Amino acid sequence: MTGALRITRSTITATIERSAIWIVLLALVLAGTMLSDAFLRPVYLGNVVRQLSPAGIAAIGVTFVMVLGGIDLSVGAVISFAAVICAVQMNGETGNIPWALGATLLAGAVVGLANGVLVAMSRASPFILTLGSSLAVYGLTQIYSGGTARGVITPEFRDFFNYRLGGMLPVLALTFLLTAVVGGLALRCSRYGRSLYLIGSNPRAARISGLPIARITLVTYSLSGLLAGFGGIALLARSGVSSTFSGRGLEFDVLAAVVLGGTTFEGGTGGVGGTVAGILVLFVAFNMANMAGLNYNAQLIIKGAIIVASSAAYNYLKRRE
Amino acid sequence: MWRDQLWWFRDARHYGIVIVLLLAVIGAFIAVPDFNTEENLGNVVTQSAALGVLAIGQTFVILCGLIDLSVGQLLGLIVVLSCDFAAGRPERFIAAVTMALGVGAASGAITGLLNNWLRIHPLILTFGLLSILQGVIFLYTDRSIGQAPPQFAWLANGRLAGVPAAALVLALLTATAHLVLTRTAVGRHICAVGGNEENARRAGINTHGVKLFTFVISGVSAGFAAVLVAGRLGTGFPNAGSGYELDAVVAVVLGGTSLAGGAGNVICTVAAAFVLGLISNTLNLLQISTFVQILVKGLIVIGAILVNQPTGEPS
Repeated sequence: MTGALRITRSTITATIERSAIWIVLLALVLAGTMLSDAFLRPVYLGNVVRQLSPAGIAAIGVTFVMVLGGIDLSVGAVISFAAVICAVQMNGETGNIPWALGATLLAGAVVGLANGVLVAMSRASPFILTLGSSLAVYGLTQIYSGGTARGVITPEFRDFFNYRLGGMLPVLALTFLLTAVVGGLALRCSRYGRSLYLIGSNPRAARISGLPIARITLVTYSLSGLLAGFGGIALLARSGVSSTFSGRGLEFDVLAAVVLGGTTFEGGTGGVGGTVAGILVLFVAFNMANMAGLNYNAQLIIKGAIIVASSAAYNYLKRRE
Repeated sequence: MWRDQLWWFRDARHYGIVIVLLLAVIGAFIAVPDFNTEENLGNVVTQSAALGVLAIGQTFVILCGLIDLSVGQLLGLIVVLSCDFAAGRPERFIAAVTMALGVGAASGAITGLLNNWLRIHPLILTFGLLSILQGVIFLYTDRSIGQAPPQFAWLANGRLAGVPAAALVLALLTATAHLVLTRTAVGRHICAVGGNEENARRAGINTHGVKLFTFVISGVSAGFAAVLVAGRLGTGFPNAGSGYELDAVVAVVLGGTSLAGGAGNVICTVAAAFVLGLISNTLNLLQISTFVQILVKGLIVIGAILVNQPTGEPS
C-alpha cells in the first residue's frame, strides 16, 4: 500500500519536474510568435526540428547514461568521427549507403563500448574518462580523414533525409522524433530502462538486489555511442559536408539540453521527454536570435544567456511547485 | 623508523604524478636526442607554465566541489583586451597587468555570484558563460589586434640568471597557492565545503563566500595565464584560449584532485601540467604528426587516470 502511494507521489513530482522545462519552452515560443509571424508555420517548425536532430539524437543516448549516474563527453567527437566514416565509406555510390550506415553505427557503438568498459572496470570518474576518449576519437578522426573533409556523399542520401513529408516535416526531423519515442518508451517501460533508474539512484541497493551493473553500464554507454554515431549520420545528411570538427563542442550543448530537461548529474531522475524539451529550448532560442537579425557572435552570447537563464528559471519553477 | 617508512609511503602515493614527471623527464633525456638543449627546455617550460597557472585556479574551484569551464575563453578575452590596450608600449605594462588581473577577478566574481544566486550546476553555468565570453571576444574583434608590451614577452620567454622567468612566476604562484590551501583558514574551508557542503555550513563556514572566493581565484589565475600567453603570442589573438579549460581540468584530475572535491593539492596539479607539456614536446621532437599526437594524448590521459585512481573515493 505504502509502496503504491510512494510510486504515485514520485510520479507526480516527476510530472511537475518535467513540466517546468515545457513552461520555459512555451514562454520562448510565445516570445518567438511576437517576434515574427513566420514562427508558428509548420515548415519553419519542421526546419527547427531538422536542425536540432543531430544533437537531439545524441542527447537521447546521453540521457540514458546520465540516468545511470554517468556522463558521456565523447559524443561530440563521435559525431565528427561518424560523419567522416559515413562519407568516406559511401564514396559517392548509392549502393554503398547501407554498408556506410552500418559501419558508422558500428564504429559509434564500439567507441561507446570502450567507454563502458573503462567506466565499469575502474573507479575513476566517467567525466574525465570520456573526456580522454573524446581526445582519442578526435585523433582517430584526424588520422582517418587526413585532416581535411574527405569522402563523397550521394545526392540520394541527402534527398532522402531532407525530403519533406506532406511538404513540412523533413524525414530527418521524423527520425529524431521516432528515436525519442522509442528511447522514451525503453526508458520508462522496459525492465532495462527501469534498472537504469535504480542503479542511478542507489547503486549499492542495485548491486545487492543482483542487477548486473557492469553489463548494464556496457550496454548503456554502447547505446550512447551508437546514437552519437546516428547523430553523426544526421549531421552529414543535414550539412552535406564531412568536416573533421563538425561535432566539436557539441557534447556540452547536448549536456546542457539533458540537464535542462531535468536529468541530473547524480542520476536516477529525468527522462527523454525532458531532454526533447531541453534541446527544443536551446534551438528555438538560437533561431530566435537568428530571426532577430543578430550575427553569429551575438548568437553565441544569446545561447549562453539562454542556457544560464533557462536553467535558473527551471530551478525556480521546480522549487516553487 | 617504521613511522618514517609509513610517512614516505603515504607521501609517495599522494605525489604519484611528481614521480611520473621525474621518470618522464629522465626518459626524455635518455631517449630523445634533441630534448636536452637549453632552447627546448625553455620551450617546455613556457608552454607548460600558462597551463600550470590556469590549472592552479582550477584546483581551487574543483577542491571546492565546483568546476569552471569559462576560464579558457576568459583567458582569450584578457589576451585580446590587454594587447589592444597596451599596443606594445612598455610604459603601459603595470596598467596592462592590473587590467588583466582585474578583468579576471571581475569575471570570476560574476561567475561566483551567479553560482550562488541561481543554484545551477556549475558545469552548465560556466559552459553558458564560456559561450557568452566567446561571443564577446568575437564581437570585440575577429582578428588579432594590438601588441603585448615587451615585459609580457620577457615574462613568457625571458630568463633571470638562467632560469626561465615563466618558471619563476609559476613557482611563486604555486608556493602561494599551496600555502593558502594548507596553512590558512580559507584553504581548510575550501576543502571542507568540497568535502561536504551541508556539514561545512552547519559548522559555521560561510559557504557562499568560500565558493565566490574560489571562482575569483580561478578568474585571477586566468589573468596571470593570459599575461604569459599574450607574451608568447605577442599579439591579441581571439582564439588564444580555446580548449585551455579542458586541459586545465585534465591537469587537475591527473594531479590526483578528485572531481568530487574535498581533497587535492596544487603541487601535483602543476606537475601534471608539466607532464602534459612534456608529452606534447616529446611527440613533437620525435616528429609524430599532430593527428597521432591528439590520439596519444587521449590514450595517455585515460591510462594515467586509470593508474592514478583516487583510492578513498566512492565510485
